[in-house]
Amino acid sequence: MVLDPAHGGTDQGARGTEGISESDEVLQFATATKRALEAQGFQVILTREGNDNPSFDDRSARANAQRGAVFITMHIASTGLTGTARVYVEPDAPATSNITGLIPWDRAQAPFLSLSRKLGDLVQQELSKRFKGSPDTLQTAPVRQLRTTAAPAIAVEISSVSVKERSELDRMVPGVAEAIARGLTDFRPSYVVPSIPVPGGSVQP
Amino acid sequence: MNPKWTIWLGGVLLAAVIAAALYFPALRRQVDKAKELTEKTAEQARRELLPVAPVSTGDPMVKVKMFWGSRGQEGELMPVVVELPLSREPVLRARQVLNTLLAGPVDAESRTLPPDAALLAFYILPDGTGVADFSDEIRTSIPSGIQSEQLAVESIVRTLEANVPQVLRLKILIHGQEADTLAGHVDLTQLFRVNAKDAAGTQLDNPSPPGSKLPAPIRKAVDTVRRATKR
Repeated sequence: MVLDPAHGGTDQGARGTEGISESDEVLQFATATKRALEAQGFQVILTREGNDNPSFDDRSARANAQRGAVFITMHIASTGLTGTARVYVEPDAPATSNITGLIPWDRAQAPFLSLSRKLGDLVQQELSKRFKGSPDTLQTAPVRQLRTTAAPAIAVEISSVSVKERSELDRMVPGVAEAIARGLTDFRPSYVVPSIPVPGGSVQP
Repeated sequence: MNPKWTIWLGGVLLAAVIAAALYFPALRRQVDKAKELTEKTAEQARRELLPVAPVSTGDPMVKVKMFWGSRGQEGELMPVVVELPLSREPVLRARQVLNTLLAGPVDAESRTLPPDAALLAFYILPDGTGVADFSDEIRTSIPSGIQSEQLAVESIVRTLEANVPQVLRLKILIHGQEADTLAGHVDLTQLFRVNAKDAAGTQLDNPSPPGSKLPAPIRKAVDTVRRATKR
């Protein structure tokens, strides 16, 4: 399980009232989610544990280097109904016509889209149970971080840094962590790592 | 010191403090006003440098569908019909509708694009790819987040789809350059499908990652925009 607290370093992401910055808050969400997932028996890697800012590709590489990983990038928006959370997956990718047995880095997400959708649906259902006003179904958006990730991958965006008090966001932390942990637990039995077709018709398991 | 002089000095100091206290808010208002005027002037100057919005009085008034944010449904777009003098020429038409989109709806809360962003250039390549080049403000002034960035891109795409059928797909540039993302989230390295029916089956599975070689028509458009902005 690779958890990605977005932004970091000089990139603070969305900035709101009370000096709230997305990069700091999202690290708190990711750390709590890591603990909840480890309690369920998952092995968890964070793409950053401090105030650094790995590149999009470096973050994807953390997941792409693991076989059978799941990737979740976590964000806090500057807009949206406060106290809600949304899950995004990449939109449909066009069919690949030239299969060479290698997945192009810039389209690494394509073979995993249906798994990403399944994971996204499960996590969104859990989030909408806990956070009133959250959508019941996942959304699609071409999120840059997801495109290069060769694993079931979703983005979770929480609203928002524009809360009146920081404590409103803090109160959401356990619910978000629990929703992700529950969604992943439900997803685990159905996760079969896709075989990669190679020239000549055989598949690489 | 003579007590009489002390009283005088104290009185003068007190009067100075009272005068300063009365004058300070007025001074602050003046400074704020001056700052606002400077900002407006800079913005005005920048807009004056941009090509004049191609609206001709000879263009027929046409009902166009603009896509701005929906007030009722958060994160959704809503079509709004407005009447505009609109050119029949696709490039001019695209610039007219995008400038209207940037100018924003009557209700400022339904805005999808920052008010200070500007369209620097718009081209349509022979294969139907529209290239829209926006000023830096589209990246620096937009509220950061997946939802807000997605709404911004969707509003551009759907407004073009509704009004300029010749644009089959769209490439968004920022200040003449290909950008990795709009403001940290939504991927701008790809082409956005505009007229889905017309674009079916076309090669869209070749997004160009940063640093890679751009497809030739896009590279040509980027170079044209760069040359234009250098002048």
